[in-house]
Amino acid sequence: MSAKVVDQTNYEPKIIMFACNWCAYAGLDLAGTSRLTYPANITVVRTMCSGRIDPSFVVKALTDGADGVLIGMCNYGDCHYINGNYKAMKRFLFLQKMLDDFGIERARVRIEGISASEALKAKRVITELVEELRRLGPLKIEEE
Amino acid sequence: MKEKPKAAFYWCSTCGGCEESVVDLAEKILDVVAAIDIVFWPVALDFKLEDVESLKDKEIAVCFINGAIRTSEDVHVSKLLRQKSQLIVAYGSCSHLGGIPGLANFWNKESIFQKVYKEAPTIQDETPILPQEETEINGLTLTLPKFFNTVRRLDEVIDVDYYIPGCAPNPDLLLEAVQLILSGNLPPKGSILSPNRNMCEDCPLERKEEKIQLQSFFRPFEIIPEPGRCLLEQGIICLGPVTRVGCGALCMKVSMPCRGCYGPTDGVQDMGTKFASALASIVDIDDDQQFMKLIASIPNYSGLVYMFSLPSSYFKRKNMEAVKNE
Amino acid sequence: MAESIRIGVYICHCGINIAGVIDVKQVVDHAKTLPNVVVSKDLVFTCSSVGQNTIIEDIKNEGINRVVVAACSPRMHEGTFRNAVEKAGLNPYLFEMANIREHSSWVHPDDPEGATEKAKTLVRMAVAKARLLEPIEKSTAEVTKKVLVIGGGIAGLQASLDAAERGLSVTLVEKLPVLGGKAALIGDLVYSEKKGWQIAKELIEKVVTHENIRVLTRTTVQNVSGAFGDYRVSFVTEPRYIKETCMHPEKGEEVCPVEVPNEYDFGLTQRKAFFKPFEGAYPPTYVIDMSACTKCGLCLDSCGKETIDLDAKPLEFSEEFGTIIVAAGYKPYVPTTGEYGFGNDTRIITLSQLERIMSENGPSFEDIGLSNPLENIIFISCVGSMEESDNTDARTYCSRMCCSSSIKNMLKLRELFPSSNIYFLYRDIRTYARREEHLYEQASKSGIIFLKYEASNPPEVSINGKPSVKVLDTLVGKRIQILADLVVLANGMMPPSDILKLRSLLKFPCSPDGWVAEAHPKLRPVELPSPGVYIAGSIQAPKDIIESIISASAATAKAVVPIIHGRVELEPLVSYVNEDICGACGICVSTCPYDAVSRVVLQDGRRVARVNPRLCMGCGQCASACPSAAMQQKSFTDEQIHEMIEQLVV
Repeated sequence: MSAKVVDQTNYEPKIIMFACNWCAYAGLDLAGTSRLTYPANITVVRTMCSGRIDPSFVVKALTDGADGVLIGMCNYGDCHYINGNYKAMKRFLFLQKMLDDFGIERARVRIEGISASEALKAKRVITELVEELRRLGPLKIEEE
Repeated sequence: MKEKPKAAFYWCSTCGGCEESVVDLAEKILDVVAAIDIVFWPVALDFKLEDVESLKDKEIAVCFINGAIRTSEDVHVSKLLRQKSQLIVAYGSCSHLGGIPGLANFWNKESIFQKVYKEAPTIQDETPILPQEETEINGLTLTLPKFFNTVRRLDEVIDVDYYIPGCAPNPDLLLEAVQLILSGNLPPKGSILSPNRNMCEDCPLERKEEKIQLQSFFRPFEIIPEPGRCLLEQGIICLGPVTRVGCGALCMKVSMPCRGCYGPTDGVQDMGTKFASALASIVDIDDDQQFMKLIASIPNYSGLVYMFSLPSSYFKRKNMEAVKNE
Repeated sequence: MAESIRIGVYICHCGINIAGVIDVKQVVDHAKTLPNVVVSKDLVFTCSSVGQNTIIEDIKNEGINRVVVAACSPRMHEGTFRNAVEKAGLNPYLFEMANIREHSSWVHPDDPEGATEKAKTLVRMAVAKARLLEPIEKSTAEVTKKVLVIGGGIAGLQASLDAAERGLSVTLVEKLPVLGGKAALIGDLVYSEKKGWQIAKELIEKVVTHENIRVLTRTTVQNVSGAFGDYRVSFVTEPRYIKETCMHPEKGEEVCPVEVPNEYDFGLTQRKAFFKPFEGAYPPTYVIDMSACTKCGLCLDSCGKETIDLDAKPLEFSEEFGTIIVAAGYKPYVPTTGEYGFGNDTRIITLSQLERIMSENGPSFEDIGLSNPLENIIFISCVGSMEESDNTDARTYCSRMCCSSSIKNMLKLRELFPSSNIYFLYRDIRTYARREEHLYEQASKSGIIFLKYEASNPPEVSINGKPSVKVLDTLVGKRIQILADLVVLANGMMPPSDILKLRSLLKFPCSPDGWVAEAHPKLRPVELPSPGVYIAGSIQAPKDIIESIISASAATAKAVVPIIHGRVELEPLVSYVNEDICGACGICVSTCPYDAVSRVVLQDGRRVARVNPRLCMGCGQCASACPSAAMQQKSFTDEQIHEMIEQLVV
């Protein structure tokens, strides 16, 4: 298989963000009401708690065409459901190890605590991830 | 006398254990032979590929194919058998999920050939030769099947009607499948012919605590597990919770952890990430650094959890490009 | 048998809020191409009655049985549309929202094409999920008509009183032998003609004489089970060991040979193991501190054997409550030995200790060996507060009451010792509350000297015959050294020591600063995320007496509502188990933070996991932990989420 040939000018990474209802999703809502702007490359799937987010969702997203995944959880101590964000973090750390095993760049999957008031952080994290993925190019795994 | 339905057995890339499991039917195999007419079984009977080619389309009632898809020959014969058979049953972990040969997806053709034909300590040649798909000798062309980069499941190259899981499958499942097919009372296409239930149900080991809270993991040889007690609860990674029933919990009966050869229940697509999620949930360490240390202590988690299912996982294989770019 | 899925999609313009950026027509047309979509329309304001009626009409006339609205955030209008859908006779949970305003038009105003494409993706995802939505029946449960108040400080007392005044039955538990909390130990307050102990006393009198309130001192919560509306709480009451028949307990105290630091004087004085906490304490009885008692038996000799039972057993009991108010207070920060010289000289005390000295029911300066008059008095602010450190356990917060309390006491000391020099070494003056700024003014006018220091350069205290304090006054940029007769360390407030126990019993989160995290700091400030559990007073964060009383009344106002209603609505989006698949591996049981999942044995002998919908809060942690996909969360099933993921790239 030929080396990655990416048209850097036309390539737009696609990102799925899994966001918990109480913090990260609300933080993104605040980014909206505050009229902050960030690239349109990211689409959000809402769950009630980041503890619902399963590493298999992340890898499914990557192998179904997403170039990157962002997990948005409450900051430690803020979880609406006591410790769902700790579970999310542990599952993420486990997944990172697996991504290494399969040669998928760690930078494609990111987890961030984003509180309901951290709209600026949401904007920063999304913008950074989009830039990082533009640099990495699409995720291509050889077949056959 | 009414003609008996025709059956065939074939092996793709496999170890032969599945063939053994057919023989493990012991005297019951006589019942099977009494009910069906075996028209192709390379490991046991002297039929040739031409014999299959000469059959009419769909003439074989049911064909059991074991082994993973590693070479072009696997694809070729599988496609031929699909054409000649009414039903195809993927038999055993390799054809069902990719199986042990699927672990080769942590490498590709190039790296495997490099290791096997050039770097292996037993290689003495100054100029090692790699297998060639075509070789000219005395004006004649010898061919070898193409070796693919990626090991696949059977249903990635042909349409599969049913699956019998296991490495190797419990012979009873084969017997039940044959009876089911003979009865004509067929389950929905795509069914796995083993109950859609979680392995822990069949496990003879008992949990001691209501909640599992792990601080460390052990490999089976590192501790002497408490007899009769759930292995996972004792820190031994047992894939029972992410595996479906059918084997009769054979490993746990001898206090060995489940390795997941029957694959997951229907709703789970990817054993490795699902089990990572489960394991992370029962580790009683909330500190990120300490948790990372703990999971780093598991030797080759991905190899362990995908021991039988890597080609059917979401990852499917290792991304060799990323390795090259390193 | 299975009904055919008929999805109605409504794309909202939200005036120009959405339509000003997103090409709504394109999104409508895109939705029309999706499987099962039979109606796709745009509406100018979908949340308006016109918009809602369009949806209701389509459900009735077009046989729509799944509704997707692409508009604002579901956090804004999900409830509105669920109600509309329900009004039309459809189950309200057959509704899904796509957030194309907050998550698209408002954040991508410069990229209309990108915003439109994203809106299409969001609609595709919502439609894919809607296709798999199942109706959910709402259920309710009965509420036990009793309130539990944990903590007998002023917040707990006020909360109990308020609930009792509304005619509810209240149980108030206090772990100490006395009521009134920290307020009962304080004398003069800022701007109050009543002293701290007087306020506590008044509240206590009302509480203990109220027919609806049952007061239990020396009582702690051992376990909480059950759920909102029916919390089953077990308690243990430690005995006083001294019977009511003991006529002269003071004799017991006199002969008791064990002396320990008196916690009610913050260690300024010693008390016996057989003791009465402080003058005016309620209940006004003696008690034996069994953790200090050596069981020497001297008190039995002087009081009479039959009046004292050193082997009395703790009393264990349990009760049901509809709601719980947590008013467990705070604990004062105690400086470490050597911190600003603390512990090295009796002339270095904390502000808590000073409050005891200044209080009528506390020790005097003479009692603690300080001779009159004091000439140089130095207060140091922010001891144990406003710490600038990356340590996770650093107290980076402001304790809020120490500035006012310090200045209040400086003014009192100024009256006591008119010729003294009083210095306040401060970081920041935060006399923030109503009527407090004038205190600061008054202090400045009275000649109290304010010296500002930086956290990076805190005062240094050494003992040189007397405590000697060196500080860099940042306002004049000069290093100043003062020999002090009294150094007061304005110590801050900390979460109470049993907060972790309460947290695990009542399943509430704490903020990184260690204090309780309320359900929402602005919208639900006195509620915990666990339904039916409320917070009053300073367990939430440092508060003064006024704020504690206000929050107690607020918490009670909330806590009585479910009891007055009589029934509570249960969380609809709970988890459930497919018992055919489940093999009872129990990973969900280990994962659930609410103990809502347990393993049960079915009639056929199979063991499976089962969710108690009354305890389940609907986070879905168990569903992602389940390795066999047997556990699912309603409206967030694996299948629904998988379908959504697959819609990202089509």
